Amino acid sequence: MINRRNFLVKSASALAITFVVPSLLSGKAHAKKPLAQKVTDKQSWGIHVDAGKCVEGCTACVDACNEENGLTGFGRPETDSQWIRKVTVKNKTTDKITTMPMMCQHCENPPCCDVCPTGASFKRVDGIVMVNQHTCIGCRYCMMACPFKARSFVHETLTQQNTNAPRGKGCVESCNLCVNRIDHGSETTACEDACNKAGHSAITFGDLKNPSSKVRLAIDSNSPRRLRNDLNLQQKVFYSNI
Amino acid sequence: MKHLKISFLIFILSVGIQNVSSHDGSPHVTTGKSKADSQEACVEPTELMRKEHYMFLLHQRDETVIDGVRTKKHSFANCIDCHVSYDEQGKAIPINAEGQFCQECHVKTATNITCFSCHAAEPRFPQHSGMTSKMNSNDINELVKHINNDK
Repeated sequence: MINRRNFLVKSASALAITFVVPSLLSGKAHAKKPLAQKVTDKQSWGIHVDAGKCVEGCTACVDACNEENGLTGFGRPETDSQWIRKVTVKNKTTDKITTMPMMCQHCENPPCCDVCPTGASFKRVDGIVMVNQHTCIGCRYCMMACPFKARSFVHETLTQQNTNAPRGKGCVESCNLCVNRIDHGSETTACEDACNKAGHSAITFGDLKNPSSKVRLAIDSNSPRRLRNDLNLQQKVFYSNI
Repeated sequence: MKHLKISFLIFILSVGIQNVSSHDGSPHVTTGKSKADSQEACVEPTELMRKEHYMFLLHQRDETVIDGVRTKKHSFANCIDCHVSYDEQGKAIPINAEGQFCQECHVKTATNITCFSCHAAEPRFPQHSGMTSKMNSNDINELVKHINNDK
């Protein structure tokens, strides 16, 4: 039998389940941007790399990036496009060898954008530094300005490009944090996926402005550093254990 | 001299008229079948699309690259998905190949297309274009469903 008290309690519970619980859950999850909405500065994408977990000889992230963006080589390593590469360094004092992936560091103060004569090198409001290939004239100033050698120039005529990664001869290109995936609501980049799949989990991608995002948790628990911190570029790619 | 002037004028006018009318009334002769063949209208009125399609693309390209807007209506990838033709084996024919949708018209109007030096000329379905150029009829049905869902 339903009395007044029971009725009120049950109605309140039903309302709570319908409205309050989903809003709490969606607050924790990554809010997917509607396709028609412009990106905002409410998010700032970044990467944490734990060099201690990066394995020498493994190229899973590089292969995944090449696959995702259709980067095919011409057998000329000096000039073939490279959005992410593996770097191995040795500390001369301690002989400690460190291997880690290097890609565009997505600086807050990007020197590539400072030197670009056409504005083709730009920083999106969500922090992704990328090349607008419609306005890139291929002068390569940005390649010289980048302290991390993150950018590549396309020297050859290309065919069979991927729809999600248009690229062509005469333009400069670099890691764009899988911008197409992010705009479609993905929470991972191709390199992160590949690193996790390979069982290393050295790469963590996410929103730096969200205190509960996996990248923020990784940064908070590892106290990483930026490369060439002396340049004050405020990169959004952080390295631990180097 | 007067006759010469008049004949020159007639020549100029006839050339001009030919250029203007070269596109009107004559249907595209493209090989293969595309999804667009079975559609009644494009994303905007056909007349407008014929003359101004590049303006829509130009506007959309900046919104997409700079602001991350990924709507499908004026998306370049969506144009390809819909207008690309498939041969009898179900293989996508690059849209800038001779006799295909983009190329056919741009040859007629003597306009060079530079889009495809960077952009894929084959559809993206299922994920990466170029890698899945062989499609059977089931795949094409799925593609049509996929495009319809996108809208």
